[in-house]
Amino acid sequence: MLRRLVLAGCVLLTAAWFPVAPAEAQKPIKVGFPMILSGPGALFGEPALRGAQLFVEEINARGGVLGRKVELLARDTKGSADEAVRVSRELILRENVDFLVGTLTSAEGPAVSVVAKENRIVFIAPIPKTDQLTAPDKLHPYVFRVAATTTMEGRSAAEIVAKWPVRRVATIGPDYAYGQDVTRAFVEHLKKLKPSVEIVDQQWPKLGEADYTPFITAQLAKKPEAVFSSLWGGHFVTFVKQARPLGYFEAIKYNMMQVAEGGSPETTKALGAEYPVGIWGNSYDAFYWEGAPPQHREYTARLSRFLKDEYPSSWAIQGYMGMQFLAEAIRKAGSTDSDKVARALLGLAVETPHGKITLREKDHQANRGQLYGKTVRDPKYPFAIMKPVTYVDPTPFMD
Amino acid sequence: MPDPAFLFAQSLSGLTTAMFLFLIASGLSLIFGVLRVLNFAHGSFYMLGAYMAWQVVQWAGREPGRFWWAALGAALAVAALGGLVERLLLQRLYGREELDQLLFTYALVLILSDAAKVFWGTGQLSVARPPGLTGSLRLFGATVPHYNLFVLLLGPALALVFWIVLHRTRAGRLIRAAALDREMLGALGVNVQRLYTGVFVLGSFLAGLGGALVSPVKSIVPGMDVEIIVEAFIVVVIGGLGSFWGTFLGALVYGQVLAFGILVIPRFSIFSVFALMAAVLIVRPWGLLGRPLR
Repeated sequence: MLRRLVLAGCVLLTAAWFPVAPAEAQKPIKVGFPMILSGPGALFGEPALRGAQLFVEEINARGGVLGRKVELLARDTKGSADEAVRVSRELILRENVDFLVGTLTSAEGPAVSVVAKENRIVFIAPIPKTDQLTAPDKLHPYVFRVAATTTMEGRSAAEIVAKWPVRRVATIGPDYAYGQDVTRAFVEHLKKLKPSVEIVDQQWPKLGEADYTPFITAQLAKKPEAVFSSLWGGHFVTFVKQARPLGYFEAIKYNMMQVAEGGSPETTKALGAEYPVGIWGNSYDAFYWEGAPPQHREYTARLSRFLKDEYPSSWAIQGYMGMQFLAEAIRKAGSTDSDKVARALLGLAVETPHGKITLREKDHQANRGQLYGKTVRDPKYPFAIMKPVTYVDPTPFMD
Repeated sequence: MPDPAFLFAQSLSGLTTAMFLFLIASGLSLIFGVLRVLNFAHGSFYMLGAYMAWQVVQWAGREPGRFWWAALGAALAVAALGGLVERLLLQRLYGREELDQLLFTYALVLILSDAAKVFWGTGQLSVARPPGLTGSLRLFGATVPHYNLFVLLLGPALALVFWIVLHRTRAGRLIRAAALDREMLGALGVNVQRLYTGVFVLGSFLAGLGGALVSPVKSIVPGMDVEIIVEAFIVVVIGGLGSFWGTFLGALVYGQVLAFGILVIPRFSIFSVFALMAAVLIVRPWGLLGRPLR
């Protein structure tokens, strides 16, 4: 009897000595991260995941959110919308994740958005650009985007090209949703800003075209003075390798606006000495960005250490920012309830490594701008960089 | 009326496309013609050729002729791999249904694409043009890169070598005989097994060589295997599965239809090529120069 009493006393004392919060608060906050981690898209999906992991490591080192650790559960979407839906469902039903952050392509984003709506779970898309994701008929309380949209990207590019002393403009872009949407946004906005512009040629090679030669010669025959291109990643690399010896860039005097992250270190590195230095490109981030807000330098240093890469990826920022918005919203809501967090996200302004960014209340879209610049060679780096780097704030022309 | 110099340049562009495709499609067609196996993994061998060429160029450092060594080395390595695949695996499937063979080569596509990812990662790799072929020249008002010119000449040269081998050597006669009637050939005492291995090795060599030679004008990325196999397939369907000259003609037609199709309907760049394939399938299901299958 006495022994039992002593034992019970010991247990009680121990409990008193180590104050334990309720069991609920001990459990980590689980975030599902569906992302392309294999195939061609992994070139961008992998660093986005690493950026998210960096954020999680940092916030957990500071005690997590609401006293709870954050746990990231990544899944490979293999670049297919069906697979993205499957892994998202699996994350929700089997792993009981509280939130979803992720997806890369413009097919995956809207597909996972539907899953989020069905399950009433907050979903933040850090990369897909299609306008469809947050279009009025597709919008629902749980979907948010911290990426730029095709409208914002096309219009940002038009703002710059409108200042060039050119009249005859041509376009080339992959023949699918992204290429068509961003090109349309560019052309419409450019014509509005500069009605004297004439669109002399539009080429639409299929996504993954192996030989651009016929498209290049056909375009040159129309004698454009400037070109807007939305060929991305490896497709742009292939295009350049074929266009250079055909005299394409000399013919247009390097008046090329290459969106789709054509100025990112990833792309300039891939082309090395073959990069058509002198064209304009854009990028989500640039480790060498000189006019950046002070916190960007610290972020870059941390990322560089985390990735063990002297020239860290420009895509990591998207994963980082997606997680940052989620964490801020949870803190503001004081809860991990998706309805409360979704309300907290409306109009939320976050101090990101790129300065203050706001998620608009009316369409759940962040005023996420991109970096633009003319590419040059800098002896400090073994690849081309954009110089000077300009952050184009899309706020004035988002609607 | 468009400028004749432009029409010439455009048709030359189409010809470049055609010759690159011919390099790949000829091996695919050869293997089908003799082995009656539609090798989906042909595109994977092409991809491996490109990756291996990149690898050899890295190893070779500053050696001036490194690209040519790399192209040859890559093609030989892929040929050896093809030989292993045929000897150890594919040979067990000859008696089976065509569907089994198709599934097997498709499985190879998946395995090889993941293997390439393990070895070379997911980044975009790039090989520089070989020295001496970096520039370009003017030809009747059209700009022709030296490297494209090299490929333009290589295609017909390869076709000629093939023709000589097929029609003037004993091995060529056996290959043609195997395409016509393999049982009869076996009954006459020819080692058909060995012939099959030889043809598969040769086809793989062509795929590897094509991949290596395309590496200076294309980024090397995962997914290039599947992109090319579709186009090579269209070429052999148009030209006639198993027909050597059919493949050559199919590639030429593909290139020209693509190059001039985009002038007429730029919005649908591959529409004209697919329309052509559909028309060929309706009118001559066995292709322009193929033979109706038994």
